[in-house]
Amino acid sequence: MSTQVHANLTEAQVTEISESLGEPEWLLETRLEALAALDDLDMPKVIRTPGRDWSNLTKLDFETLVDPLDWEQEKERESADGVDVLAWDEAVTEYEDLIREKMGSVIDTQRDYLTALSTALFSAGTLVVVPEGVAAEDVKIRTEMNSQSLFNYTLVVAEDSAELTILERQSTGKDIDGDRYYSGVVEVATGENAHVQYGTLQNLSDDTYNYQVKRGNAGTYSQVNWIEGNIGSRFTKSEVETRLIGDSSESKIVGAFFGYEDQHIDIASRVWHEGEHTTADLVTRGVLDDTARSVYEGVQDVGRDAWDTSSYQRENTLMLSDESEADASPKLIINNHDTEASHSATVGQVDAEELLYMTSRGLNERLAKDMLVEGFFVPVLQEVEVDELREDLDALIKARLR
Amino acid sequence: MSSEEHLKETDTEARFEFKKEQSAAFKTDKGLTEETIRLISEDKDEPEWMLERRLRALKLWQEMPMPEDWPGQPDLSEVDIDEIVPYIRPDVDVRAGVDDWEELPEEIKDTFDKLGIPEAEKNALSGVGAQYESEIVYQNMKDQWEDKGVIFMNLDQAVQEHPDIVREHFMTSCVPPSDNKFAALHGAIWSGGSFVYVPEDTTVEMPVQAYFRMNSEGMGQFEHTLIIAEPNSEVHYIEGCSAPKYSAFNLHSGGVEVFVKEGAHVQYSTVQNWSRNTYNLNTKRAICEKDATMEWVSGSMGSKATMLYPCTVLKGPGATDTHITIAFAGEGQDIDTGAKVYHNAPNTHSTIESKSVAKDGGRTNYRGLVHIANGAENSSTAVECDALMFDNESTSDTMPYMEIQENKVDVAHEATVGKIGDEDVFYLQNRGLDDDDAKQMIVAGFIEPITEELPIEYAVELNRLIELEMEGSLG
Repeated sequence: MSTQVHANLTEAQVTEISESLGEPEWLLETRLEALAALDDLDMPKVIRTPGRDWSNLTKLDFETLVDPLDWEQEKERESADGVDVLAWDEAVTEYEDLIREKMGSVIDTQRDYLTALSTALFSAGTLVVVPEGVAAEDVKIRTEMNSQSLFNYTLVVAEDSAELTILERQSTGKDIDGDRYYSGVVEVATGENAHVQYGTLQNLSDDTYNYQVKRGNAGTYSQVNWIEGNIGSRFTKSEVETRLIGDSSESKIVGAFFGYEDQHIDIASRVWHEGEHTTADLVTRGVLDDTARSVYEGVQDVGRDAWDTSSYQRENTLMLSDESEADASPKLIINNHDTEASHSATVGQVDAEELLYMTSRGLNERLAKDMLVEGFFVPVLQEVEVDELREDLDALIKARLR
Repeated sequence: MSSEEHLKETDTEARFEFKKEQSAAFKTDKGLTEETIRLISEDKDEPEWMLERRLRALKLWQEMPMPEDWPGQPDLSEVDIDEIVPYIRPDVDVRAGVDDWEELPEEIKDTFDKLGIPEAEKNALSGVGAQYESEIVYQNMKDQWEDKGVIFMNLDQAVQEHPDIVREHFMTSCVPPSDNKFAALHGAIWSGGSFVYVPEDTTVEMPVQAYFRMNSEGMGQFEHTLIIAEPNSEVHYIEGCSAPKYSAFNLHSGGVEVFVKEGAHVQYSTVQNWSRNTYNLNTKRAICEKDATMEWVSGSMGSKATMLYPCTVLKGPGATDTHITIAFAGEGQDIDTGAKVYHNAPNTHSTIESKSVAKDGGRTNYRGLVHIANGAENSSTAVECDALMFDNESTSDTMPYMEIQENKVDVAHEATVGKIGDEDVFYLQNRGLDDDDAKQMIVAGFIEPITEELPIEYAVELNRLIELEMEGSLG
């Protein structure tokens, strides 16, 4: 399944990236191994039903999308008290041992073709370290992609009893001729009783192909929560995952998307219950207009030893246009009977009765519809702990409506 | 004695588990070659076009890969068609099946007596077909239906007597052999099964039933059922299946095609109790025209592995589909079942209700697909899956897929998984039931929405089977 990307990718390029960031030898090795593995790796899995693949990754033309040495971004990293938020070149100097221990411990650096490609080529990297007992609020990372392709890597380490909310904003700056490729990998490792909420607001330009994988390991009594807002890009494949390894750990994965024109948004929320007394709540809401298409997969996997599990999942899609398509597959994999698990999914249009109620009170239909769409996102927006993320997401939704 | 009492007093286990000495008039070698196909076709004295269809299906079977990339699918590695005896013609005089049980050889009659079929026929059915190994051995329908033009005969006979209808509908537009590998296999070596034709404006008030019995070790049964319900007609077809257990595996790969014409109503009920060495890999599909209704009721109790997803294509506006499915997986069983519905016209509606019970290391999976095509406006679908788990060795999966290409729709999917409620058990124990009885009662209540759709004989039967599954294995 490997693509042509190899033709214009060399060890020398990878070495150059690594050297420019001042990376130690072992990290270069990790990159080179990932490069070498590309030949044997498959694309990330997509859902397949009789006669159709829900997303087509093979049509990605890496040859024209990826130029490993041409990367340009504008980055802002706004730290909070007691937290270290470091650019990659600083991070490898200050925290080499920590990076060596944690990098790849949550996401296999060669998980699939696109992840391995990211491992080999990432030039934009960030390390966030929250020391034991520190409660940090509102760390902000803003990435503006100014080149044709950009490979981003973020490692978050929250030590015992650390708390952190983090907001990552992704957007595109300079106009570039032709299509673009953005790749993002985020690993979150927590100790005991840590609490991390990681929010992402993706608003890349509509000529950008976007692949992101985010995964967290939750330790005992820890919480790893994700907010995932997808507004931009032409094509998105995003996977957000939590492993509930420690007893009494929790995860909440909240997603919002709003697709229009010919956008294709493929998102997955997955959680593995491995420890005892773990809880997960997966909530995603999305709106589709024009010929946009959404693909949703939700997985609640309860392991054999995951006694006393609670696991819930809801997904709701609102279709504003006849030409859009919403595909959904909420899955339950239950191997322990001491479980309370449920999921639900709905697809529909704006409720006719609600619309009538509002128009009969003097609102014109357009305004009434817009308000109902805004209202549709409220349960998701309420979950966002960082005010700025909630306000930004709300603003982007409103902007798309008008 | 009422038939309910009769069934209660029968030892259900003995009724399914007994074996008969294997005797056959004609039996193919193991495995599948063009020569085998020609032999079967020749033994059935089939027209040339049917042989051609068989050979074309054989070619597809040889070309198509085994399904291997389905997430969490049952293990089919043991299914080696070269180890299967695909065709056994039992030793009976009348090829099309006799219409009097007394004319059957003693051992075959005894088989169906033990299964309670003649008894049920008297009490609750319009017609009965009974298949033993590869051929229908008994077929009868009450005169009142025959007089109205209802046809109920074995499909081999229909190939001879109604070639035009069969040629038009048999594995063409509904289940083509290219549908999946086992549909191709089925198309190559199908044998037996029923042909049901209900004329316009005719309601067949009591169900017709076919019973399929595999008796020989290592055989494959591939019966084909073709049901055509003309406009505004109504029929309920019931299918029962069982086999004694052997050490070698058996394969059941049936094919069912149902044509539900305008305003017609077909209910297709199955109580499957294949032995725990049977691979049950079927393809069942219905096509509903305008305002037609299709109802699938499936109880999957037996088999080692089942992969069954009855499909309805809602082709005409206003068509309706209902799926009611129950799966019960005990030790060593993998019951992977569900539903498929295609909404291809406006104002179409579907309801899928699935209940599953997993215990003693068994696995159940609901795997379902709902597709709403662009233009199928004002359609709705509601899917509800509930699963009950007994212990920590078992597995209960739910894998629905929804493809929605139309916005004027109402789509809802819900699923829950839980253990049997301690409080419920405690409540019942307080009222004097022991643990086993309490749990049986809870399971019976859990699946009641399904049993109430079945004629009383079958509801009792299903409950008996569940009791059997639960007996002695609860701590």
